[in-house]
Amino acid sequence: MAAPAERVSGRVEARGLRASYGTTRALEGLDAWIGRGELVALLGENGSGKSTFLKAIARIVLPDGGELFLDGKPLSTFTRRESARRIAYLPQSLDLVFPIRCIDLVLQGRAPHARGFSADSSADRDHAFEAMRACDVDALAERDAAALSGGEKRRVFLARALAQEAEIWLLDEPTSGLDPRHRLEFLELLGRAHAGRGTTVLLVTHEIDLAAEIANRVILLRAGRAVASGPPAETLTPDRLRETFGVESRIVTDLEGRRRIVPYAPSR
Amino acid sequence: MFLSVGDLAVPPTPEDEGRGTGNERGVADLACPVFRVPGPDDMSARGVARATPGMLGAVLLLALAVGLGLLAGGVRLSINDLVAGEGPSGEAARLVASLRAPRVFLAALVGGCLALAGTALQALLKNPLADPFLLGTSGGAAVGAALAAVAGLSPFVSPAAAFAGAVGSSLAVAALARRGGRLDLQRLLLAGLIANAFFSAVLLAVFSVASGQTARTMLFWMMGSLADATPGRVLALAPYAAAGLLVLLFFAARLNLFAVGEENAAALGVDVETSKRIVFLASSLLTGAAVAFAGIIGFVGLLVPHAARSVVGNDQRALLPVSAIAGAALLVAADTVSRSVFAPAELPVGAFTAAIGAPVFAWLLLRNA
Repeated sequence: MAAPAERVSGRVEARGLRASYGTTRALEGLDAWIGRGELVALLGENGSGKSTFLKAIARIVLPDGGELFLDGKPLSTFTRRESARRIAYLPQSLDLVFPIRCIDLVLQGRAPHARGFSADSSADRDHAFEAMRACDVDALAERDAAALSGGEKRRVFLARALAQEAEIWLLDEPTSGLDPRHRLEFLELLGRAHAGRGTTVLLVTHEIDLAAEIANRVILLRAGRAVASGPPAETLTPDRLRETFGVESRIVTDLEGRRRIVPYAPSR
Repeated sequence: MFLSVGDLAVPPTPEDEGRGTGNERGVADLACPVFRVPGPDDMSARGVARATPGMLGAVLLLALAVGLGLLAGGVRLSINDLVAGEGPSGEAARLVASLRAPRVFLAALVGGCLALAGTALQALLKNPLADPFLLGTSGGAAVGAALAAVAGLSPFVSPAAAFAGAVGSSLAVAALARRGGRLDLQRLLLAGLIANAFFSAVLLAVFSVASGQTARTMLFWMMGSLADATPGRVLALAPYAAAGLLVLLFFAARLNLFAVGEENAAALGVDVETSKRIVFLASSLLTGAAVAFAGIIGFVGLLVPHAARSVVGNDQRALLPVSAIAGAALLVAADTVSRSVFAPAELPVGAFTAAIGAPVFAWLLLRNA
């Protein structure tokens, strides 16, 4: 799919990646790469393997074939702790059962940096508070994270990714379930982190317009494989969307001259 | 590049990742839908900062329970006789207390073991309902110990047999509860129920064919009792309790990451499978040792972590030691009551903990429904 030269420059790269849950195949030989400092959106219908790809990079799911590379080296040659210092993962479901103070949740981002995963040195606390200020959740530090609204919770988890000082962020549907205001606030924060720190971002989303708006590049997944990759304007065509999502769509230009993708019917 | 984000007109689309992977449900499934641990804001501030008062409170409770345990019972002792008493009354008091002491200390160790096992399992499985009794671990341990006794093996083998039974039961329950490579909460509780039914049947069957002393021993494992305490048994249990405590404390920070979710722990660099195995084994060891010396005593592993959590919060580094001490205090107090109220007759302490545990558990369920 990608030329060899590009592959070498890929910060995260998957070659022939396979993964399954029990008997269900989720990834069937995925080839994809994410370049240094890129913001890449991963699109595809439910069950196409997007979340599994993120989880494989985050080492939550163990691939059963193929290989993942981090800066050109096989991910499996890094210790779990080493890769956790460089890769932060923001899950789709932020379901908390036990009470936990927001500051303690953010401090968990420091765990891969700490001996025995016990992160609460004063340096760790400074990192955590700084990250919480950056995400505008420092006022929530002493509150119970399990009792927060969805928007607040996502920002706290984003603060945690910041505190983790990871160069690569994996975000699984970070805007799902957010009201318009919280969604925009979240995207603003993400934009600041990406632009300001040069963080590499790989995000899963179902919002085609969002991907077109913020991503340098989109990767389309279907049945566990990457079927297309490229800049949004060239890649998100009605034909591709029919192939990927099974929807008919048209491209419209809004009053400000921006290209928008409007899916209007399921393909027959 | 983000300048125009504010103009996006795409509404948020809450979406379930549906068909195929099923993985998104995995960890969320472990979260119990009806039994959410209360987390009001005031309680959320109780982190490590509240650990010291919590620890002091637990130690104070334990000291009170031990003092009461030595004084109360079929023969009531006065604190004066015990501490400063001279002549026959003082000597008699000290004699009675020295006979009671092994029982009090055995109760403390057993209570600590059960509370530790429950605390660790709850964090590991991200599930406040986890408990060695409800998950069938205690039942498996009792069957192991009982079969060893029936086979005529030495009593010193019984902790090993109970440990084997506990591990076997844990593995079987986990295998039953596994779906799509993950532990499913509903299945876990159901599997525990099935395991308990099966183990009760085995114990009853052995009981019905056993005779004399063996039958009495079986009864002891089924009902839970501290009546057979001796200094030797206290000394035999202590190393298991200490080993379990040390292993769990070593894993406390990892358990904090598990308490947010197994995937969370994996993404933060924890070797999830190895940690799970070690914590499961440590919990099984603690449960097995407790059951070998005291039979099946339920609800301690469920209620104590819950109560301790409401005081010190869910940081396992504080919660594990506080739970251990509070569990010790609870079982010493429960045993004291169960041998005092109908003295000289005794209630089995397991029946007593179940009698107070079940209503408290029901109340927790209702309050959180």
